[in-house]
Amino acid sequence: MGHLFSSIETTPPSPQIEPLEPTLLPPCSINASSKSALLVEGDQSLLSCFRQLLEKAGYAVRLAPDTEEGLRLFRECGPFNVVLINYYVPEKKGTGINCLIPQIHGVRLAASIRDMNPSQGIIIVALDYQCASDVPRPAEVAQIPVLIETGNGQLRSLLEKIEVDRAIKGLTSSELLQLQLFAKFRIRGLGRAARGRDWEDLLEEALYRTLIGAEDTQNGRHWNRRVSFVQHLKGAILSIASVWKRQFKEESTYLMSELLFHDAEGQDYSLIDNVASSSSPADQRLIEKNEEDRVLGLFNDDSEALQLLRGLMDGLRKTEIMSRYGLEEKKYAAALRRIRLKVLSQRNNGSRG
Amino acid sequence: MADKTNHDGNLERFMNQLGDSVLALSDGNIRAEVSEAGVDPDGEAERTRTVLHEALQKLENVNRRLSNLGHTVNSNGWHRERSGYRNACVTCGSFVSFTPATGEIRGEALDGLCLQSDQYTIRRREASR
Repeated sequence: MGHLFSSIETTPPSPQIEPLEPTLLPPCSINASSKSALLVEGDQSLLSCFRQLLEKAGYAVRLAPDTEEGLRLFRECGPFNVVLINYYVPEKKGTGINCLIPQIHGVRLAASIRDMNPSQGIIIVALDYQCASDVPRPAEVAQIPVLIETGNGQLRSLLEKIEVDRAIKGLTSSELLQLQLFAKFRIRGLGRAARGRDWEDLLEEALYRTLIGAEDTQNGRHWNRRVSFVQHLKGAILSIASVWKRQFKEESTYLMSELLFHDAEGQDYSLIDNVASSSSPADQRLIEKNEEDRVLGLFNDDSEALQLLRGLMDGLRKTEIMSRYGLEEKKYAAALRRIRLKVLSQRNNGSRG
Repeated sequence: MADKTNHDGNLERFMNQLGDSVLALSDGNIRAEVSEAGVDPDGEAERTRTVLHEALQKLENVNRRLSNLGHTVNSNGWHRERSGYRNACVTCGSFVSFTPATGEIRGEALDGLCLQSDQYTIRRREASR
């Protein structure tokens, strides 16, 4: 593909880029905005269009009419939340381009920025192409997303992806551990309703809902930037776990092997044998009761943990548990810690969930 | 063996409260707790980041593959079904489905280029002639 970039025709200088029309949205201050964008676009109508789209999405936008100015602004003000570069942007102001042949200035700027800051989010705008694969570009920028449509939420989707990527990179190790443990306990709380899914599946699903919820709060879970990314993922995890639970209740069936147990003498018995037939979800409750007994059994030699555990199972709040069992703050925290450790280590021995 | 009291949701409530309690832990405490459980906290943290990054990448791969074929899907058009997500190209209507567990992409949209996409795209290249 290298030959495609070797011949550049220069057409007579195109008209100078006029100042933006006063009807456009007032520019946001870079310093006042939490999100910033660099827009490198030589076509005035596209520049206006993208500027409005970006500002509507909450970005303070720096404008560059050519790659030379784009590079200067990036060096001076970068990194930005996102850099949008038109594939056909000229190298210098007033230099025309020939849209009939592949250009190198836009992709060369993208490559330079990527070299300076490998984690900089970049989008190449190539509206003249039908498919992203048709856009001639060297291998080093092949991974940079290409925008071929201004409609259908493609830009918003790419911006959301860049923001989420940035948020993931920004998570601290303790935030990541919190998310993992939170998801692990949710999965354990689901029991059979998890249907073999583990914490990774739950966290992964939370991320998908975030990405597909860039515009839609019905299907996905839009990340409202007023909450932290951790809080957002926590909310998504809660919602997904609740949906999984509901789906399971609607469709639950049991294998006989799940209801059959052996006693110490090796005698088989069914949990259903001990249940009044009027109890509608009796089989499910029995399985839960069995698991509950197993967890309680882990703390037979730890009376404080056992008290706390019973309090939590009864849905009591921290102050209520402390008051009911006469536990002090420190003892409560220490017992809770022992419970978490034991429950997690039990799971660690059993499965990846 | 089994009693007849209502245990519905007891375990779930308990596990959920354990989960909530994790979010209130300080940075030092959560790392110490994970270490005490016999796990490397840095390794586990990075594993979690990898799960998130891989999910992002899987969806990005789907979008890139569709974009390379000229298909355009609404980012909010993905519908969750039993085994994965399903969407359709807004120009030609061909379907695509994506299974998160495996990252597998299927559907008629992958059979070839979106044949109708250039009917709807205004080409600056042509307009500039």
